[in-house]
Amino acid sequence: MLATIRHRLLEAFRTRMLILLGIVTCCFAIILIQLINVQLIRGEEFARKSRMNMENNIPIPAARGEIYDRNFDPDKKNVVIVSNRPSFNVTTVPANFRDNTKMEETVRLVCKLLKVNGDEVLKEIKERNPWERVIIKEDVPFESIVSIATHRDKFPFIDWEDSSVRVYNHANMFAHVIGYIGLISKEEYAQLKHQGYRQYQRIGKSGIESQYDKVLRGRDGYIRRIVDVRNRVEAEEVGLEPQAGNNLVLTIDYGIQEAAYEAMENYMGAAIVIKAATGEVLAMVSRPDFDPNALISRNNYGIIQQLLNDPTKPFVNRAIQSRFPPASTFKIVTAIAALEEERWNPSTSLFCNGSFTLRGFVDTIFFDYRVHGTLNLYWAIARSCSVYFYQLGLRIGPTMILSYATHFGFDQRTGIDLPGEITGFIPSKRWKLRVFGQSWYDGDTVNLSIGQGFITVTPIEMANLIAGIVNNGIVYRPHLVREVRSPDNRRVIQTFSPQRQREIPISPSTLSIIREGMRLAVTGGTCSQLSRLPVPIAGKTGTAQTRSNRYEEESQHGWFIGYAPYDGPPERTVIVVVFVEYGRGGAAAAVPVAYKIFSKMIQLGYF
Amino acid sequence: MLGRNEIYKIDFVLVIAVILLVFLGILTIYSAGFDPIDKVNNGLYKKQLIWFIVGFFIMVGFTVINYQFLGDYSLHIYIFLMVLLVITVIFGTPIRNTKAWLNFGLFSIQPSEFMKLGLVIILAKYLELRERDISHLRELLIPTLLTALPMLVILLQPDFGTAVVYVPILFTMLFIGGADVSHLISIVAIAAIAIVVPMVITYREWVGAVGTNFILDFFKDTKLIFIVASVFFVIAITTFVLHFFLVGKWYRRVYIPSTVLSLGFFFSIIIQKYFKLYQKRRILVFLNPELDPHGSGYNVIQSKIAVGAGQFFGKGFLKGSQSQLGFLPEKTSDFIFSVFAEEWGFVGAVVLLVLLGIVIYRGIQIAIESKDKFGALLAGGIVTIFFFHVLINIGMVLGIMPVTGLPLPFISYGGSNLLMSMIAIGILISIRMRKFVY
Repeated sequence: MLATIRHRLLEAFRTRMLILLGIVTCCFAIILIQLINVQLIRGEEFARKSRMNMENNIPIPAARGEIYDRNFDPDKKNVVIVSNRPSFNVTTVPANFRDNTKMEETVRLVCKLLKVNGDEVLKEIKERNPWERVIIKEDVPFESIVSIATHRDKFPFIDWEDSSVRVYNHANMFAHVIGYIGLISKEEYAQLKHQGYRQYQRIGKSGIESQYDKVLRGRDGYIRRIVDVRNRVEAEEVGLEPQAGNNLVLTIDYGIQEAAYEAMENYMGAAIVIKAATGEVLAMVSRPDFDPNALISRNNYGIIQQLLNDPTKPFVNRAIQSRFPPASTFKIVTAIAALEEERWNPSTSLFCNGSFTLRGFVDTIFFDYRVHGTLNLYWAIARSCSVYFYQLGLRIGPTMILSYATHFGFDQRTGIDLPGEITGFIPSKRWKLRVFGQSWYDGDTVNLSIGQGFITVTPIEMANLIAGIVNNGIVYRPHLVREVRSPDNRRVIQTFSPQRQREIPISPSTLSIIREGMRLAVTGGTCSQLSRLPVPIAGKTGTAQTRSNRYEEESQHGWFIGYAPYDGPPERTVIVVVFVEYGRGGAAAAVPVAYKIFSKMIQLGYF
Repeated sequence: MLGRNEIYKIDFVLVIAVILLVFLGILTIYSAGFDPIDKVNNGLYKKQLIWFIVGFFIMVGFTVINYQFLGDYSLHIYIFLMVLLVITVIFGTPIRNTKAWLNFGLFSIQPSEFMKLGLVIILAKYLELRERDISHLRELLIPTLLTALPMLVILLQPDFGTAVVYVPILFTMLFIGGADVSHLISIVAIAAIAIVVPMVITYREWVGAVGTNFILDFFKDTKLIFIVASVFFVIAITTFVLHFFLVGKWYRRVYIPSTVLSLGFFFSIIIQKYFKLYQKRRILVFLNPELDPHGSGYNVIQSKIAVGAGQFFGKGFLKGSQSQLGFLPEKTSDFIFSVFAEEWGFVGAVVLLVLLGIVIYRGIQIAIESKDKFGALLAGGIVTIFFFHVLINIGMVLGIMPVTGLPLPFISYGGSNLLMSMIAIGILISIRMRKFVY
């Protein structure tokens, strides 16, 4: 009996042990399933995460391309307009700390060492994704790097990276042409992050730097560091070699640029020197200017604001970003229209008594700046006789004049390889009706015929006007970059050949009449100062009134447009456009500038 | 005592599995202790090797002595270990704020590890003595007290993980000892309701759950819970009184569940009302570490990365970046399985599981084959210790179990656990060798 109970109890025990065995088996099966899930099904994902844990990729910024002037020769010492200087950045990835107070402590310590404002850095860190690398300070002196490197325990997770600082060697002189670089903005980053741009990178903000950013920037590389949980470096290798950016050779001649820049010293305005047969820009100056070196640092907000708020607008590249009435320089267009459409005989003389009375409901008197007497078209151009052109303008009518203005592209961008170009403005009858609710009056035509009134042009468009006259109607796209060279300058990667932009249907005889008139302006007309130079120059001046009081000197803009040599083939012809904003005496201010530019070119052997 | 005949009765499969496990453990401890940057090893593997050698001889010792002897002195062993535990709590050397170790200069001992074995021995003895009455509910009181006593002391250390593992050991022992299954299920159910209800409320408040859920919204109000608990209580009392007057066994089906429900809800009100918010949250994090990604959740995330990154063949010995570069916490003790799985991959992990499975399977076999109830229960209890350690440790490493600082038997670094495990194996062998005696 006892044995039976004992036996039964033992049997019950064995049953329960078997149940336990079943439970154990089930649990092992669950573990196995989870093991399969973690190691086999999601293995790739976790392997990637483990790599992310230990790999700390430090970017190696690519050297940005250098920029040279047109006389670049890889075997000689050259004019380097923009270059780079090696430097160090101190950086960190905040998320590595895992502990916010420790992070703040360390960052403050580093900031103290580097003499930067810790609060600002921490504020920036808080705004960003903690896994993104934050630059604590740029352009850190080597000694500071050494002290960080020797105290890795005190500065955990603080890294440094090679970097370079952009150096604008001829800072203000090329400010508008070259532009400057700056930290990529949030908007730019959002737009460009799929094109390999990363945060903290610098990007061209204006000028050539912006236009050719993709050529200049190269491709960043990175160092792959294997780090442990305390960010100690176990191994380091170059993950991707950086690819330096390509260098640019400009069409600009440093000598002419310098001369133009200095000639414009006391003025606001722009000067452009351009080759007629190719559109190569030999010089482009805009005044007032700024120092791009001051704008590249991270804390440039203040200085940029200051420049933006400056009433003289130093940021504006007046050569391509400002429009003004062309004034008397526009008489060329009026003359062309007359010669082409009216078969106007250039020898036809008209009398100028210093003013012109437009008969109408109310008579309106249009003045000339002096009495010219009787003169033909050549002399009217040379002496810039307004009364002659008033009559001429009324004879041919606004439609024809405006159509030639359109031919010359005053309402279109020239397509120069600079960002932010604006166009001039050509009015029309319909436009006037829409905006003013008035029809086109004869007075408007009179004004138009001497380039006053509604019409405006940019200096670069004026350069194209001369190009069309010199080149028998063919205008090339103005451009600033001659070729792209490999980082070592040994290889030319891309050359920019002249691009024909427009062909203006003008008969050669018309053009030669205009050229003759412009030559006469130098030999015996408005810009006779230029006749002292040993090269035959042709030109046309203009003085634009901006306020009602025409005698107020400060209210006049001065134009000079011209070219030399007068009789040379178009291939050798160089066009000069000078625009002086609120220049003292209008054209009287522009001509001396042109004089200096021409004499420098003679000196450089351009003619 | 040990004749030629008895040598053949030694379970060599078990012994070889254990030796292999310890060998793999030492290998992994070596790898985890290696610093690839300074190219030095912290030398823990040597200590573990010494513990193993010592443990091996002690294991042999326990093989030689008759395990019945342990049963006879079970109360003495238990009291001795309790005294050690109390001494530890009072005089122990705090390591990471836990007084779990008694320092003897050259080495230190963790009495709570040995207490697991001590508890199993005394429970086995008790259950053997009471095997005919154990189906009564009141008989569960003494085993519960025997378990609760060391648990409380260990909670004072405080070593939550070690204390918690005593509960499943007790329940499994009661189960194989012949306790009424409905009693066990009822107790588990009461505990489950008492914990789950306040945890659900805390969780929903914590994560700011929105939307309506009829049942969950009901839990929000303790008054409603109280009413429900009272209703069930009344039902339970009524059926309990009625069963004296009525014939049949149907009443059990009513009053047991209603008692369970009413007690569960009552206890849940207590937890909900009298536990501080941070305490409830701590339990919640214990149950789901991913709620605290910077604390214990971090460990689990890194552990899963390590295991997963091992993929099929593993990264190779000393090549596991997660462990080598320190991303894995507690890599020589709690998370050693991740180190192993990272370097040896799925293949290695399965081998390890198979070896651990062999130990547990052999233990169960020994328990079943034993003709002596004490030996059977003791073997079952030892298997239970191993099983729950393996389940909870690997489950934690794989992110399907709460994070408790439980070691993986034979593998994790730690002398006390290894020694206890070796002793347990010695006892198992001893039980098997003597199964033919009775």
